[in-house]
Amino acid sequence: MVSLLSCATAVPSAMSKLSDLFIPGLISLSLLALAGTELRSHPTEDETKTHIAVWVGWSGFEYDAFQSVVNDYNKSQNKVFVDLLSITGNSTKTLISTSAGIPPEISLLSAAEIPQFADAGAIEVLDDACKQYGWTEDKYVPGYWNVLQYQGHTMALPATPSTVALHYNTRILSQAGYSKPPETIEEMDEMVDKITKVVDGKVKLAGFLPAEPGWWRWSWGPYFGGHLWDGKSMITMNTPENLRAMKWVESFSRKFGPAQIESYKSGFGVFASPENAFLADKVAMEVQGVWMHNFIQKYNPKLKWLAAPFPYPKDRPDLKGHTIIEQDIFVLLKNCKHRKEAIDFLAYLQKQGPMEKLCLGQKKSSPLRVKSPEFWAKHDNPCIHLFDDMAYNKSCFSTPKIGIWPEYEAEIGNALDEVSLLRKTPEDALRDIDARIQPKLDQYLNRLDKRRRAGK
Amino acid sequence: MMRRKEGRAGFLFALPWLFGLLAFMFYPLLMSLYYSFCDYSALRSPVWIGTDNYSELFHDEVFWTCVKNTILYACVSLPLGMVIAIGLAMLLNTNVKGMTVYRTIFFIPSLVPMVSLAMLWLWILNGDYGVLNTALGSIGIKGPNWLSDVSWTKPALILMSVWGVGNAMLIYLASLQDVPTSLLEAAELDGANAWQKTRNVTLPMISPVIQFNMVMGIIGSLQVFAIPFVMFPGGTPARSTYFYAMYLYDNAFSYSRMGYASAMGWILFVVILLLTLIALKLSNRHVHYGGV
Amino acid sequence: MTAKKLSTTLTHVALVTLSCVFIFPFLWLLDTAVKPISETMKQPPVWIPSKFEFGNFWEAVNYGSDKVGYIPFLVYAENTVMLAILVVTGTVVSNAIVAYSFARLRWWSRDIIFAVTLATMMVPFPVMMVPTFTIFKHLGWIGTYRPLWVPAWFGSAFSIFLLRQFFKTIPFELSEAAKIDGAGEWKIFRSIILPLSKPALSVVALFSFMGTWNDFLGPLIYLLRQETFTLSLGLEFYHSKAGGTQWNLLMAATSIVILPVLVVFFFCQKQFIKGISITGIK
Repeated sequence: MVSLLSCATAVPSAMSKLSDLFIPGLISLSLLALAGTELRSHPTEDETKTHIAVWVGWSGFEYDAFQSVVNDYNKSQNKVFVDLLSITGNSTKTLISTSAGIPPEISLLSAAEIPQFADAGAIEVLDDACKQYGWTEDKYVPGYWNVLQYQGHTMALPATPSTVALHYNTRILSQAGYSKPPETIEEMDEMVDKITKVVDGKVKLAGFLPAEPGWWRWSWGPYFGGHLWDGKSMITMNTPENLRAMKWVESFSRKFGPAQIESYKSGFGVFASPENAFLADKVAMEVQGVWMHNFIQKYNPKLKWLAAPFPYPKDRPDLKGHTIIEQDIFVLLKNCKHRKEAIDFLAYLQKQGPMEKLCLGQKKSSPLRVKSPEFWAKHDNPCIHLFDDMAYNKSCFSTPKIGIWPEYEAEIGNALDEVSLLRKTPEDALRDIDARIQPKLDQYLNRLDKRRRAGK
Repeated sequence: MMRRKEGRAGFLFALPWLFGLLAFMFYPLLMSLYYSFCDYSALRSPVWIGTDNYSELFHDEVFWTCVKNTILYACVSLPLGMVIAIGLAMLLNTNVKGMTVYRTIFFIPSLVPMVSLAMLWLWILNGDYGVLNTALGSIGIKGPNWLSDVSWTKPALILMSVWGVGNAMLIYLASLQDVPTSLLEAAELDGANAWQKTRNVTLPMISPVIQFNMVMGIIGSLQVFAIPFVMFPGGTPARSTYFYAMYLYDNAFSYSRMGYASAMGWILFVVILLLTLIALKLSNRHVHYGGV
Repeated sequence: MTAKKLSTTLTHVALVTLSCVFIFPFLWLLDTAVKPISETMKQPPVWIPSKFEFGNFWEAVNYGSDKVGYIPFLVYAENTVMLAILVVTGTVVSNAIVAYSFARLRWWSRDIIFAVTLATMMVPFPVMMVPTFTIFKHLGWIGTYRPLWVPAWFGSAFSIFLLRQFFKTIPFELSEAAKIDGAGEWKIFRSIILPLSKPALSVVALFSFMGTWNDFLGPLIYLLRQETFTLSLGLEFYHSKAGGTQWNLLMAATSIVILPVLVVFFFCQKQFIKGISITGIK
């Protein structure tokens, strides 16, 4: 007790005076801080124009491209001003703000997220606007138009589309005696065996690795002609085509050893760097999107490469030319403040001029069927026509349109991990997915139905 | 009269907390309990479904994986952390020169923001060229692939948690400084060596603090979230680092299943309550309130 | 004598070794902060940078200033500082008042409520996450800073506990004497108890400051627009998911973020240790 008092009073008097001001000081500072935080979170709005909020997850050059289109729009008229924001984790933030009753007018999502948002009642159906502005199927590339549809309605509009293809290193392939990319899976397996070099149990060069880049883990089944669900209510993971795909993924681990592959992979650099596995000649072939060209130009322009559609199983020539359709899309959030102005802005974006400007700026193809000659001329991706053509192909596919897709996707990813590590057999893995996800889907559809009937 | 006045003053002074208890504790807890019996997503109003969430959890394989992972993590990181924190504190308690510097060094890890910490360790732990494995290699040990080998991802996280014992160490250090030197000197006179002194004087004297830290440690380690969330999204590889709080967050915000997440939350609460009570009961035997 | 010398030497050795191990990741952080970007991701790792890019710090602060729609690093810093001030003030003020009540005043059901207070420390955050979010949603506070600082003004179990223990150690005679002189409770609190409590209050302030400075989950859930983000979220900005993480700038920015807390701690450690020991979590 005594030591306590002496301890406290031992503080030199100058310090003591200073610390006497501690609490009053804090209180005055916090009044300032309060003013500051309130101003920061409620920015004053310019009253002369209607402001609409557009949230995107883009950053870097992709964001810049869109910003320039937005600037054009803002300059072209005086009534509406678009506030463009780049938001990390945009999907979650959009969901949160919509649930809080303060949604932006327009948000950039990925087409794969449409079912989830639509089922949650967060986004508006755009059928009327489509009729009004003439956004019809015949104006758009079929692959890109189809992913906008959900349960018979158009739920979103294209922002920028993309397809993927097998990018291959022509130098490595020709060194192994191949002048053309593989057309069938069987050809590719042969090439992989020939190209892959293993020295002293360590992988020195891989022909192909399903795990690199490992961005579309759900796609192997569809690449072999499988379906992830029956379109109504059944999860169809455990089917022959998907099993075949899983076995094919497993074969890489069986051939080269999971530990060796993991070890090889940990030496890969970050995607956007010269140490990228494909750019650093560590992987001879990989599935990548239309944007890959930019990264090659930026980080290893000397790389000799080309792109081709992903191979198909020999006995499934109907799958030839298939690709994954991905699309960044714009949705209109329910209960946003300025619906009409938002639709007008969307109309502007769907015009050929702005659309091409955006897609060109992001180095992607355009979702409109009609493209100006300048668009092709200015596009510097040597394989751009391939990427565009694939989207017309009937066998192109995209993510299943189910509201529980995030959970389903996570499950598939996990199964792939287990199979690649040789911890589970493909048969077991697929069976487990069905067993786990089917009840979740059933329950999800059930509850959705109950709500609809109760009018909630 | 004085008593009445004091009673009223007491109540008034405590008012902010009483309001806080009701508004930010009891009300959310009860609401959370209610939600756990509902189908609730942020955008739709809750619909009562009885115990469906709980029975679904019981049969949910991923739920049990998370439980297992979290318990394994807690069972190792907690005792390990405590031993190291106490050990470090005892080392620092010896009036060595440069105390201020040492103390700061051990404290720094708790200051590094999550995102940077995660990135930093992703580099250090890289299987092939990470600094840790390079260091191990220089003394002849081939380090495992910390980030992608399913058996080594949890140890990697435990290693990182040990690195962050600075906070706990400070508290132990403070309490060690309160151990009366008279007792230690008496023990020395009786011929006790360092270990005996520690075991029979020091540890008992700081046992209340140890108990407190243990309880806080149980509560904290069962909620591990931020680091694995940034470093191992989704609990990769193969859900080896998928912890309870991560699955809860995913259910609430990624799958929009807030009722399900609330059920998980309540189960966690009850488990923590039980474990804390058990831990307190078991350790009370060893705790001495010698105190000032 | 020699035994003592031996143990001191051993202690020194142990401390030095352990410090090296502990500080290593931090040194690596600083090392990366001064590297040119090409050397940050080289494998095998580069230890000594070929050039010391101290300009990284300036660049980190101005990162992206050439880009349209860029948010200055300083804005994140400002936001975090403002938030921290609000939280620390609220924590110190409210908990001191409440702890005084538990420590020095007698009132009906005080001890039961104190036990309940302790019990609330066991409530895990995840269980509160969803309903608390719903409360703020109904109040219309999502997207503002209010969910992050308003609760701090209503007390927190840990700080109440800490301060209550401390207040109990101040001799009751002081209060008695003041009462005889006719002072009311508030006067006693302000003029006698508070001035004597600086070490304990500074501990509460420090922990609360550190908590806010590094808080990740709160801002993640409640802040929506980029220009409102705090430092812990803002660091995410250097980490671009499409690839191209600016490691060196990220680490440079991190060093800047850690600096204030580090400096405060280094100079005030003695007081904090005393504060913790006196509150005696016993």
